Amino acid sequence: MKPESEKYDNVLNLLRESKPVLDSTEDIEKEVIKRITKVNHSQLNLPEIIDFLFGWVYIGWVRRGLIAASILLVLVFVFQQGIILKRIGMLSKQTVINDKESVSTPTDEIEKLLMVYKNSGRRFPSKTITISEKQMKELLEKVDELKNKYKELENIIEGDPELKKLIEKKQIETNRTKINL
Amino acid sequence: MKRKSIKLIVSLILMFIVSCDDPETVVTNYVHPDGSVTRKIEMRNLKNIFKKSDFQVPLDSTWIVKDSIEINRKGDTTWIKRAVKQFKNIDEINLAYKSDSGTNKGMLRQVGFRKRFKWFNTEFRFSERIDRQLSFGYPVKDFLNSEELLYFYSPESLKHEKETGPDSLKFRALADSVKHKTDLWSTKNIVSEWIGKFSDLIAERAGKDMTRESLKAREDEFIKVVEANDKKFDSLWSAGIILRKFIGEENALKYKTEADSALGSVTKYFFVSFKDYSVRIVMPGKLIGTNGFIDSSHVLLWPVKSDYFMTEPYEMWAESKIPNTWAWIVSGLFLVFVLSGVIMKVIKKD
Repeated sequence: MKPESEKYDNVLNLLRESKPVLDSTEDIEKEVIKRITKVNHSQLNLPEIIDFLFGWVYIGWVRRGLIAASILLVLVFVFQQGIILKRIGMLSKQTVINDKESVSTPTDEIEKLLMVYKNSGRRFPSKTITISEKQMKELLEKVDELKNKYKELENIIEGDPELKKLIEKKQIETNRTKINL
Repeated sequence: MKRKSIKLIVSLILMFIVSCDDPETVVTNYVHPDGSVTRKIEMRNLKNIFKKSDFQVPLDSTWIVKDSIEINRKGDTTWIKRAVKQFKNIDEINLAYKSDSGTNKGMLRQVGFRKRFKWFNTEFRFSERIDRQLSFGYPVKDFLNSEELLYFYSPESLKHEKETGPDSLKFRALADSVKHKTDLWSTKNIVSEWIGKFSDLIAERAGKDMTRESLKAREDEFIKVVEANDKKFDSLWSAGIILRKFIGEENALKYKTEADSALGSVTKYFFVSFKDYSVRIVMPGKLIGTNGFIDSSHVLLWPVKSDYFMTEPYEMWAESKIPNTWAWIVSGLFLVFVLSGVIMKVIKKD
């Protein structure tokens, strides 16, 4: 047993004395630092963020430059808006005219248009006008439809004395407003 | 110099022509922020006659055209031709003006567009310009005051409204004053133009008494001669009597051909065959400046008449702006950032 235990001790001593050979200590160092930094980063807090964002306030020329830029921006804004407001003010003093140059077909002329259409043998005096027969038919149908609905409405009003009264009252009010105007 | 007699004849002829076949024309430019322009033309005529040669503005087969009619309460029919075309840029419009074969083809018309980035806003300027006809005329503003100038450049509808409105007496007096002053302006323009053209023609062989400066110095004298002989001007000029009064017997004989030639040239440019129309402009964004008339729907309007570009270029312009929202946000954030930094430093110092 003795020689065996001696052998064991010898091996153990040999192992203890033979340390591992580190041939890339720099890499290990870097890895350790990297891990430490990682740990620190994950623990960033608000004051640090603020310090990071507003670090420039401690650098004199950057601070002065940004303040000057801000003042310039405000001045440009005030100047531009001032000019624009002044010009808009001048515009409001300019003559406003009632525009009679533009034209649109008024709806109350449709009846007359239709009359002309009917009287001219369902054809306009000149064939160069681009209103198709189909469009005209549609228009006539719609007008007839509208007339029928109006008649129906009249019948409903006639059949309901309260509704008739109410509408008559409204009509009187409308006429008064027109007169006042 | 044949001003009044010729003007009357020309006016009567023009009135006759206008009342016959000339469409009442309104051109509307819808200006877009990218510089493209949608141009709409509306022509109204009491007859269904729309000849290409009578068109006041370029209109060809590349336009989308729609015809319609309108009947008023009296039963009068108005024939309407509406045309629309999208122009990619102003160059296309200018090209159309250059190749115009309509009644106003002789006028040099140009369209301009400018876009300026000004950080908070982008500003736009659109203009239509007609070059002047006379080279030696006087600006009308030398003859009319600001109120008269406003009346002079007003659309007919506005003039009519004023002359029949509550202050009709005041406006009729104003109209008379403008007419009187513009008549004088016309005479002065004709005489000045004649002097300019005549002195150019005789420049090489003219003596000291016939230089432009010496003739110009006697301009008022010439005007008096013209006004005094207004009714018989044609016959007196043909007989050489007026020219003799102007430049003396000897010079009148020497320069008769040049004087006639100069008068012919003046007549050509003074009585231009121009047919009136109206221009409207709709700008992108908010309107900030214009020299036009604003209608109730904030559309700008200019009447276009030959008198307006007789002696000065007639420019119809409008300016507008569109706010750059992103620039406002960026500027706001920047100001807040800087202000916060400054406040923070002050707090930390304390």
